[in-house]
Amino acid sequence: MSEKKKNLDKRASYIKGLSDNIVGSAVDIVKVKPTTQQIDELTKEVTERLQYESSSLLNESVTKLHPDSLSEMLPEEKVERNFERFGKNFRYQHMLMFVSIIILIITGMPLKFPEFDLSKFIVIDLLGGLSNSTFIHRIGAVGLIIVGIWHVIYTIGSKVGRRDFFLMVPNLKDAADFMGTMRYYIGKSKHGPKFDRFSFIEKFDYWAVYWGMVIMIGSGAIMWYKELFPKYFYDIGREMHSDEGLLATLSIVIWHFYNVHFNPEVFPMSWTWWHGQLTESEMKHHHPLEYEAIIKKESQEIIEQSDSKKAGDK
Amino acid sequence: MRQLCIIITSIFVILLFSNSDIQALEKCQICHSKKEIHKAEETGRKIPLFIDESIIARSVHNDKDCTDCHADINEIPHTIVKKVNCRRCHYSGNPVGAPDGQMYDQYEHSVHGLAVIAGNKDAPVCQDCHGDHDVYSHKTIESKFYWQNIPKTCGTCHIEIYAIYRESTHGRAVADGIKDAPTCTDCHGEHNIKRHDNDESRVSSFRISETCTECHGTQGVVNKYNIKTDRAATFEHSFHGVGKQMGSKTVANCASCHDYHDIRGEDDPKSSVHPDNIPKTCGKEGCHPGASAEFSSGQQIHINPKSEESGIIYYISKGFLVLTVLVLIGLFAFIIMDLVRRAKNARAKR
Repeated sequence: MSEKKKNLDKRASYIKGLSDNIVGSAVDIVKVKPTTQQIDELTKEVTERLQYESSSLLNESVTKLHPDSLSEMLPEEKVERNFERFGKNFRYQHMLMFVSIIILIITGMPLKFPEFDLSKFIVIDLLGGLSNSTFIHRIGAVGLIIVGIWHVIYTIGSKVGRRDFFLMVPNLKDAADFMGTMRYYIGKSKHGPKFDRFSFIEKFDYWAVYWGMVIMIGSGAIMWYKELFPKYFYDIGREMHSDEGLLATLSIVIWHFYNVHFNPEVFPMSWTWWHGQLTESEMKHHHPLEYEAIIKKESQEIIEQSDSKKAGDK
Repeated sequence: MRQLCIIITSIFVILLFSNSDIQALEKCQICHSKKEIHKAEETGRKIPLFIDESIIARSVHNDKDCTDCHADINEIPHTIVKKVNCRRCHYSGNPVGAPDGQMYDQYEHSVHGLAVIAGNKDAPVCQDCHGDHDVYSHKTIESKFYWQNIPKTCGTCHIEIYAIYRESTHGRAVADGIKDAPTCTDCHGEHNIKRHDNDESRVSSFRISETCTECHGTQGVVNKYNIKTDRAATFEHSFHGVGKQMGSKTVANCASCHDYHDIRGEDDPKSSVHPDNIPKTCGKEGCHPGASAEFSSGQQIHINPKSEESGIIYYISKGFLVLTVLVLIGLFAFIIMDLVRRAKNARAKR
């Protein structure tokens, strides 16, 4: 704490010296009774200098110091900055997907467990019979297929999609992060591993959905057009559809709901699916490597901008 | 003294033989024992009125008097006799010990009873199935209700169905004396026979699988004959079975594929489930009219994913079971560890 204070004091005296310097030169200029134009020029120069000095200060802090100490140095009442985690396109994909999946689960599960009264209630009383429930199931299926195609196009066609797809590819760091998380859970280390944009947990989620989509859409399509195939295709498809349907439902209800609903940190729900934003502290906590990269990039940009501006002025 | 004895014996004998039953039978037999006796209808048709006494003697009603049933006759010669009402004796709580039960109620709500009530003269009443004078115990071979005679009895009216049934697996088994094989009443019921489109009917699309299951289920008798007993369970598991449980009447039931009266084993070329005929059976109008030949031929129809006989389905099912269990264990372990860690952190902060 005292070190932090010392640091801050150092900074403060530095900035004070800087401003004294500026004021001194300003007084020199004022002495020669400037015109309005000269005052304007002076104002511009002072602003630019301040900008440059503060950005280099920021740059210095980020590159030389630990990012945590940067935030500690900043005033605490500062309004938290938001970071966009999911773009609009991606959020719409997710919305269509969960609407489709809810429809599919409601109309699909009763057919896996027909002996339960609740199943009969849903299909017979709520939906008005098997032909209705299978029709609604197919509406959900079309929704899911659209999401699948949409996502593939998004992955190939959009810059963010391509970037995110490559970031999703599992690598050795994920294995290390998994071990690190385990060590953290059993108390062998004080902090969990630092995650980049996608943690191994999120990668698992993503690829689980990928696998589920392939199985469910593939087997569902075979069942939809069963007459075109030998019957054992249908039998295999039905078995897979039924088993993977249960696995996917359980994974969503247990795992995904824990992460975005029932987890004490976000209960009752994380709203990121709606606004796509993460707060700065959430970013720092859950995706520190991505956060550091963003800050580094931004400060670099600021420096480059002011550098080029300076070069232009000269 | 000897004369006295003879007189007393004679009186006793006369008294014995003057028992009204015998007397009445004898009186009726004055006319009805003549083989040529008949009623001539205006159309010229002759209706024989000869009653073979030995038939009555062998029937379950051998201790009954003619007028016990033909109660409307009180003089000889008599004119037209009314149809006998069996309910005279067969009502619940009757004093003569005649069997009774739900059969009248059931009959009145059955397809036959409703037709009779609606005024259909051809619809069967008690006598048409049970016989009139020849009501034998169902254990005697000449009874209309001796198990092997039931198809023939029903076939009196339902002659076309009888002709089909006789050739079916069930019909042939009954003819061969296999007592476990079903006759008409085993599937359709007896007094409570309902139309097949009535949900209450034992052969309705809704209930027929239960009816077949009575024999073809795990508790059924077919095990004795090396016939698979998992057919009902595998049907319930199939999409057709699920649809049935969800109240759909359009999904296939046992009879949709196996036919109803013309049920035959799958090796019988005439069978609807013979490999050569399956495409036609599956491709029925209203079922899978677009079915390819591959869709339906040469494969298992009744699939039991828990049985190794199902081949790849069994392994897929097992594989997914293992995968699901592992994933769930992993996820739950992770969640619990996460919660424990959070709780510890929270305590440490405080």
